[in-house]
Amino acid sequence: MKKFMILIVCSFLVMIIAACSGDKASSDNKNEVSIWVHTSKETTEGKAMQKIIDRFNQEYQGKYSATIEFIPRSGSGGGYEDKINAALTTDTLPDVFTLDGPNTAAYAESGMIAPIDDYISNKDDLLPSIMQQGTYDGKLYAVGYSESGVGIFYNKQMLKDAGIDLSTLPTVDDPWDWNQFMELCETVVNTYDVPAIDMGLNDKSEWLMYAFSPFLWSQGGSIVNEDGTKATGIFNDEDSVKTMSFIQDMVEKGYTTKTPVEKAFQTGKYPMKFTGSWTIAEMESSYPDVEYGIMPYPTSPDTNKLVSPSGSWQYAMSATTEKKEAAGALIDFMTSTESLTEISLANSVLPAAHSVVEEVKDKVSPQMNVLIEQNSKTAHARPALPKYPQVSRVFQQTISDLTYEKNNNIQKLLDQKAALIDKALK
Amino acid sequence: MKRKSKKVIEYTFLILLACIFIFPMIWMIASSMKPESSIYVDMGSIQSLLPSLDPSEWFQTYQELFSRFNVFQYIFNSLTYAIVVTLGSIVVNAMAGYAFSKFNFIGKKVLFGLLIALLIVPGETLIITQFTVAHDLGILNTRLAVILPMIANIFFIYLFRNFFNAIPDEIIESVKLDGANYWTIFWKILLPMSKPAIATVGTLSFILSWNDYLWPLMVLTDTEKFPLQVAITNINSTPPVFTNQVMAILTISTIPLIIVYIVAQKYLLQGLGGSGTGIK
Amino acid sequence: MKNINARENIAAYSFLLPALILLGLFLLVPALIAIYYAFTDYYLLTPDNRQFVGLDNFIAIFKDPIFIQSLKNVGLFVVCVIPVQIGSALGLALLINKQRRGNMFFKVAFFAPVVLSLVVISVLWLYLLNPSEGLINVILERVGINPQPFLTSPDQAMYTIVFVSAWQGAGYQMLIFLAGLQNIPSSVYEASKIDGANKWQNFIHITLPLLKPTSILIMITTLIAAFKLIIQPMVMTQGGPMNSTITPVYYIYQTGFTDRLIGYASTMTVVFGILIGIVTIIQSKVSREDDSK
Repeated sequence: MKKFMILIVCSFLVMIIAACSGDKASSDNKNEVSIWVHTSKETTEGKAMQKIIDRFNQEYQGKYSATIEFIPRSGSGGGYEDKINAALTTDTLPDVFTLDGPNTAAYAESGMIAPIDDYISNKDDLLPSIMQQGTYDGKLYAVGYSESGVGIFYNKQMLKDAGIDLSTLPTVDDPWDWNQFMELCETVVNTYDVPAIDMGLNDKSEWLMYAFSPFLWSQGGSIVNEDGTKATGIFNDEDSVKTMSFIQDMVEKGYTTKTPVEKAFQTGKYPMKFTGSWTIAEMESSYPDVEYGIMPYPTSPDTNKLVSPSGSWQYAMSATTEKKEAAGALIDFMTSTESLTEISLANSVLPAAHSVVEEVKDKVSPQMNVLIEQNSKTAHARPALPKYPQVSRVFQQTISDLTYEKNNNIQKLLDQKAALIDKALK
Repeated sequence: MKRKSKKVIEYTFLILLACIFIFPMIWMIASSMKPESSIYVDMGSIQSLLPSLDPSEWFQTYQELFSRFNVFQYIFNSLTYAIVVTLGSIVVNAMAGYAFSKFNFIGKKVLFGLLIALLIVPGETLIITQFTVAHDLGILNTRLAVILPMIANIFFIYLFRNFFNAIPDEIIESVKLDGANYWTIFWKILLPMSKPAIATVGTLSFILSWNDYLWPLMVLTDTEKFPLQVAITNINSTPPVFTNQVMAILTISTIPLIIVYIVAQKYLLQGLGGSGTGIK
Repeated sequence: MKNINARENIAAYSFLLPALILLGLFLLVPALIAIYYAFTDYYLLTPDNRQFVGLDNFIAIFKDPIFIQSLKNVGLFVVCVIPVQIGSALGLALLINKQRRGNMFFKVAFFAPVVLSLVVISVLWLYLLNPSEGLINVILERVGINPQPFLTSPDQAMYTIVFVSAWQGAGYQMLIFLAGLQNIPSSVYEASKIDGANKWQNFIHITLPLLKPTSILIMITTLIAAFKLIIQPMVMTQGGPMNSTITPVYYIYQTGFTDRLIGYASTMTVVFGILIGIVTIIQSKVSREDDSK
């Protein structure tokens, strides 16, 4: 019995001792700020961030100092975001933290992050899409430190062998419309008897919203009305029907598939892939033998307006921080041309500011330059809505439902989905 | 002769069955031992279950992996958490199982009913409130925060209770007459008699702790304290994702589980000695 | 009936104490808080702005078509997966509960999917089940069956998940069955051997009755685990196609953490918890556990 009692006493002691040691993410020193980022310190992105923090500490020595914590996310933000939310409920947020673009509205609306207009010195230099993404209710709340983009990656050899003259392919200044693109798909499908392009339709997550909404914008359509209160009459209008018909046609005619074979483009099975800048790094390191090029988004034949997706993680300031000056100085420092250039080059992501575009232009591959050019001229941020997750999910389900045979009536499908969005926006 | 052919049939059947269960593991190991591009080229052929044809490439992925991540630190952390949780879980849950099995006490039925009711709570949905509790206890960013919530487990209590139920009361009564106290009965008599249960609970709680990802990430901020699962998720979600490196770290993380399982299984048979070799 | 005395009471609670403290802190308290949240409009990002809304959430969830759909889906899953998974687990346990050369290999093989990462499992099964190129359709075609859409069909997706889950989880229950089988003294079998019983009779009259406590444990826990299905649809179908594989816990997770509606999600947790509770009670009444010991 004795040993047993000791055990009990011990387990109590442990709890009591533990209960006494306090904990807060930020320290009490007024000039010392902490920052949480969603990556791990081992990634190229994490290493670049560490370097920037080191430079900050050196430059502001005696005035401000910053410490960085790496909290690796899973998938599209899970894990890290749960941790942010938990810190919010216990009032232990750090002074500065990173957040994904679509979260800006929700965080700003709930008063979690503070406006940072007054602290950012290079607002004119930042790309319009970056400003658009970080702005809510007319105020700047967050600054993206990189950009992302999507294009159509094509296998040069496979297109040539299908009898296509590569010099006639579209460019950012002279894009193709949907019909021209579908003609290309038809030629390719007839030659190889496989889907012409993997559009990632098997990925039912944020990808569908991110990559497919630009088609709708190109058509002149939209998901919700301007003040973000309603989708009926917008998401089920003629423009949406036209856009969705194009996507459905791509699947029904066999130009793309809802169940693509894994890495079919990389291994030379499919001639094209609809994907983002991250695939460039993958091609370089794992599939160096594949010669590929990138063409811009196809456009709506009605408008011929090229629209491409945009979005990235950003820095923001916690609304509860008492060290606004130091935190603001840190964010400004981390979004300076030098810092942004460092991150762009290290992580092979698209630059977030005009000056950075100039800096990296000659240092990156021609494929990357296509995406950079497309991004800086045509990028469109996703809608800034506090209820973004619900709206995005409905959009994703719309795209994915389109590809089932039962859904021949697009108008009816969109009526239903618009009503769902309305319900979420209430 | 008849016996021999029966044996051949039995083994063929077992091996075929085993293949259905083990092919993903073989694929995982094979994929970790070849360049990224070969994994998808090989897909669908028998080569997908074999490592690269060039042996010099076998461990290249692992080299890349170890140069990218401090894998040893993560393994050490995961091992620490898993071992402490396993030992704690065996003792704490067995104690509770003992109480439910061999004692009559006030509120026994109510308490047992409450535990079964708690079993249905979907823990995945409670993580924010659990975090608030950990915060109020002040154990955030300590290793204790990772370990404590993993120890008590209703399912394991139930399992131990069932096992102790099968041990005849007479054995206990006879030692009691010899003057043994409750703790001695539990520690010296019951536990040694329940090796199958200990092996089972030990294996399962080791796996549970080893595979836990979200909770450690929530309660820790120091990278130095992160378990291996955090590294795995990171490798698997930072583009570009290198499938061969993902498979390599998954191989590294699966091996300890297989070893624990084999050891526990051997121990399970050993502990039974002559009794109960099952159906003959 | 033994005498209940003070000493025994104290001893019993001392043995229970560590488990009760830990379960209380990390399970009971969070669960009670969740019940409270169920009556509020708690939005994750504004924790200080919680308002009591009475039964509003409870009324809303029964009008929520996705929640109703998720209940139907998980019902289908539970009904299908329980017999398949427990049957396979018992079969596997009986197969390897025997001294045999190489038995350890089979034990490891059958248990392997349990410890394997879902990343590996989902990549491989998605590949094998690919409607156009997957190995399974290639085999089906050889034996003259038309290719099947599997996970991409609203009618087949849930059954496919049943199959993959049973395949992945059976090793877990196998291990518990095995421990139960090891607990049966061999003397029992020897006695029946003398009586001239054959293997089948042994199984029906000795093994099954003696396995009853283990079987009840497995039935209840597998049932509860099946109701909590979330990971497989999350990684394999994301709840689609057309919401055919969305499950209550997955929907709760989505509502609570993606949509940040903690109040509404808590209400679903409470209602769903009560539903599982009812089913579990019915099930254990049916299997009539003898709890009087």
